Order: sequence, then structure tokens, then C-alpha cells
Amino acid sequence: MIVLGVDTATPATAVGLLLADGSTLEAHDHPAPGERPGHATRLLPLADRLLTEAGLQWDSLQRIAVGVGPGTFTGLRIGVATARGLAQSLSLDLVGVSSLQALARRALKEGQRGSVLAAIDARRGEVFAGGWSAAGELFTARALAPDDLGDLLEHQGPGSAFEHHNWLAVGDGAIRFRSHFEGRGIEVPSDASPLHRIRGADICELALDVESHRTDPVLPDYLRRPDAEIALQGAAG
Amino acid sequence: MNVLAIESSCDDTCAAVVQGDGQVLANVISSQGVHSRFGGVVPEIASRHHLELIDLVVLQALAEAGLSLDDIGLVAATRGPGLVGALLVGFSYAKGLAAAHRLAFAPVDHLQGHVAANFLRTEQGQFEPPFICLIASGGHTLIAHVREREGFEVLGRTLDDAAGEAFDKGARMLGLGYPGGAALERLAAGGDPAAFDFPAGGARPRAGMGVGRIEFARSLDFSFAGLKTALLYRVRELSESELATLAPDLAASYQAAIVDSLIARCEQALKVTGLERLAVGGGVAANGELRRRLASMGATVHVPAPILCTDNAAMIASAARFCSALAYPAYLPLDVYATGESAA
Ligand SMILES: [Zn+2]
Repeated sequence: MIVLGVDTATPATAVGLLLADGSTLEAHDHPAPGERPGHATRLLPLADRLLTEAGLQWDSLQRIAVGVGPGTFTGLRIGVATARGLAQSLSLDLVGVSSLQALARRALKEGQRGSVLAAIDARRGEVFAGGWSAAGELFTARALAPDDLGDLLEHQGPGSAFEHHNWLAVGDGAIRFRSHFEGRGIEVPSDASPLHRIRGADICELALDVESHRTDPVLPDYLRRPDAEIALQGAAG
Repeated sequence: MNVLAIESSCDDTCAAVVQGDGQVLANVISSQGVHSRFGGVVPEIASRHHLELIDLVVLQALAEAGLSLDDIGLVAATRGPGLVGALLVGFSYAKGLAAAHRLAFAPVDHLQGHVAANFLRTEQGQFEPPFICLIASGGHTLIAHVREREGFEVLGRTLDDAAGEAFDKGARMLGLGYPGGAALERLAAGGDPAAFDFPAGGARPRAGMGVGRIEFARSLDFSFAGLKTALLYRVRELSESELATLAPDLAASYQAAIVDSLIARCEQALKVTGLERLAVGGGVAANGELRRRLASMGATVHVPAPILCTDNAAMIASAARFCSALAYPAYLPLDVYATGESAA
């Protein structure tokens, strides 16, 4: 199946094209620190470039896949809105996949034997975190302060999936809070490691495993409610 | 040629299909209606709703037009000004929709859209340039000289609040909730517009710019902040029972001050340009007092149907017919803009 996969959960823009023979082409944009993310301006040009490289047309695509986060709200909406526009235009199935799972999948694929803690910088001193091992998901993705991560991992009793795991943390959240993670005995690859980056190929391949639901609109997995709603609820007591 | 347009600059998710000759085939507006409990539009919530609604709104517009994407020759979307997060949903979706069909794409300025609402074929007929166009809504208030269908020149704009914003803020001070423009108008219907002497939105000098009262009064810019403050002081002076009695008078006087300001600027713009034709757009165009005053101005006044005055995608499609569309793939790297003109 020919799949176009995009991810905009982090400041980076990642695009992948899975070809009929199972090989993948990839392109990405990584803004320099402090630079504005290029989601709106880079996503479609990168996708167009991959199609050209592969000698394909838009209507060669058989499925569109999009990372639904969690991550930056505006970034996610640009990715999902673009993907939905493409899918609608081509009458194709759109599949939303977890951006955290894409990170974890890469680390496991590259030989991590223990568990992978995928962590995306959630700002406000928090990370969006999810845990995976080769056997599957260990806990559901959530937003939390890095200090609470230890509790999450330690409070699992003997015999749980968490026991005796060697944890590897990947993602821009793992880089930002490296000392917190390492202080808990969680390994974090060097900042330059490609394991910290979400890749379009993983978005494509994850989408192969998912049954698509055309009636179920793909939306970002925000994991956080809008501030205004929380404030309103707080004011109401 | 059929134009499919998307508008998502504020809290309405809109899609429309318009023919090349200005005939509206579909004009779908999904008002979110979730912002009243917050006392104003919350950008993050508006953006989330746009994304939930966009597919359905576009599909409905195509269905109502009885067309498929294969019948569309040009895709258009509002590029700005507006809420960036909200614009990005409609604009990104539209770019994706156009790209996969390799269609031409027109990025449209929202204000040009309000102007171009006058070029649509409707029961009132099309209104052709040259004319003066007043655009007054909750997000913008400006007066434009429209010489041709492709663009306009801004003669004056608000220096602070928009006229619709002034209505809403006044309504809130009078305890009428949000959005309160229509409620304020209803309350004003039973009041005396001459009961209170409010400054007519043109009597306040441009703060810190050394432009005097008289010079500002001559300019075509608007200012509603002083008026809002005047109402606030009046409301504070009054006891609760006095306020209950005088609320209709306050509303009527406040509304009269806003309308006076709008009318005065329109008259001035017509005088300066020597034109006798005036078009009005934006949500404030629905205000009955403004419509009465417009009707007695002596100029030829064109007010599109209410659904074409408030934010809608038919007006964006209309504008797209007269701007130079971009062929695939030139539009793929385009971004939206929050204020002013596009940077590139
Ligand atoms: Zn508007």
C-alpha cells in the first residue's frame, strides 16, 4: 500500500512516503532553536517533493496517515487539517496514529530491548509521555511533570509490566528534562541522536496496522483541555 | 468556473460554492455558539471547533451545490486577518484539498471578502465600483474606497475597538451578556437616544501621536474606547434602581453615539471622494438604527443580505474571482497572517 504520513506534533515537520515495495522515502524540516515551526509552510512542499522523487502523483496514494500527537496544539491542527484536506480530495482513508508511539516504535526497531518512554515537550514544565515495550503499550499517554514520572513508574507493583525494565527515554521532552530522567535511572540517548525525532516512515508504517474509520473524524489527541475551560470551571467552583 | 471557498478567521466555520458570474450555489455557515459562556471568542476553542466542523461544512457546501470536487476550478481560503490558529485550520485544509487535485488556489484577504460580498448576484442585484464601503463588525471597522473589483483603499479604520466590539462591551456593562449587540438594540428601542450625551466615537484624539481633537475629527478614523469609558462612568454613577430605570435610555444613547460616528464617517468619505454610492458589510450592518440612518443619507446604499454581511465563505469565493490565483504548486508554502497585509 502506498501511504503518505505526516507529523507536526513537535516543532519539526516530518513527512514519509511508504511505497508499494515496502521501502520508504522521508523528508523533514527542523527549525533552529527559537525559530518558528514550519508546519504551515513546509508540510505540503515536502510531501510534493517526496512524490516527485518517487515518480508518483497525488492520486497514486492509497492512504493518508497523520500523527495526532500529543504535542503543540496549533502544529497538530495544521497536520490534521492538511491531511484531512488531502484525504477528502482523494477520497482516501485517513488514519490518525500516536506521535508518541511513532517515537517508541523507532527506538524498539533500532534495538532497544527494555521499555521505551516516549516524551514530547508539553511546555509549562511538563511532558506528554507514553510507555511501550516490544509487547505493546505499557500505560496510556498523559501530560505530567517530569518529577511525577518516577511515581508513575515506581507505583507499579511487583509482577507488573514495569518491573525490571530497562527504560530508555526518547523525544524532545527527554532532551529537555534529561537530568530528571537520568536521575531516575532512565537512559536518554545523546541530544543529537535521531531517536529523538519523529519520522514520517514510522507514521506510515503504524498506519498500516490500524483499521481506518472513515465515519470517525481524525482529531488531535490534545490531552489537555483549553485553559479557558479550566478557568471557567475553576471560577464556578 | 466554480469556486469553492473556506472561511475560518474567527468563530464561524464556513464553506461556499460560487459560480464565476457571482451566483451563490451554496453558502454554509456553522456558528460555533460555544463562546458565550466565556464572554468572548476563545481562540483555542474556536480552533478546535473549526477542525471538528471543517469536513462536514465543506461536504455540505458541495452537496448543496450539487457538485463534486471535479466540478471545482478554483479553491479559495481566507488567509487573514484574523485569529491565526483559527485561520490555519481552514487555510491548511483548503491547501490540502486543492493540492491533491492540483487545482489553482486563491489566498483571500478577509476584508477584501467583505467588500466582494457586494459583487455577488443576489436579489438586491450586484453593486459595482466605484463606491465607499463601510465594514463594521466585532473584529474590524474600516471605511474603504472601492475603485475596482480587485482591491480597495483604506480611508479610515478604528484606532481601538471595532464597532461590534463596542456594542458587545456596552451590552456587557448593561448586564446583557455576550454577544450582546442585538440585545442592546432591543433595549435601546424603548429608550431616548438624546437622554445621555455620549462622545460620538470621533472626539478623542489619537493617543500619543500629537494629532489634535479637530484634526482627528476631520480624519476618517474611528475610535470607540472613549465612548465605552463614558458609558462605564455613567453606569457606575447610577444606583441599581436608577440603572434599571435608565438602562433603555443608556442603551439608546450609546447606540446613537456609535451609529452617529459610523454615519458621520460615511458622509465624510462620500464628500471627500465625490461619490454617491455606499455599501455596508460586517455584522453591525444588521443594526436597525444604522439601517434607518443609512436610508436617510441621500446616497445610493447597498447592504447585502445579513448572511452575506456577517462572516461567510461566499464573500471569500466572490473575492477569489478577482484576485490572481496561484497554480499548483506555487501555493503550497503559503502561510496565514494575523493582521495587516501579507508579508510576502
Ligand atoms: Zn469579518
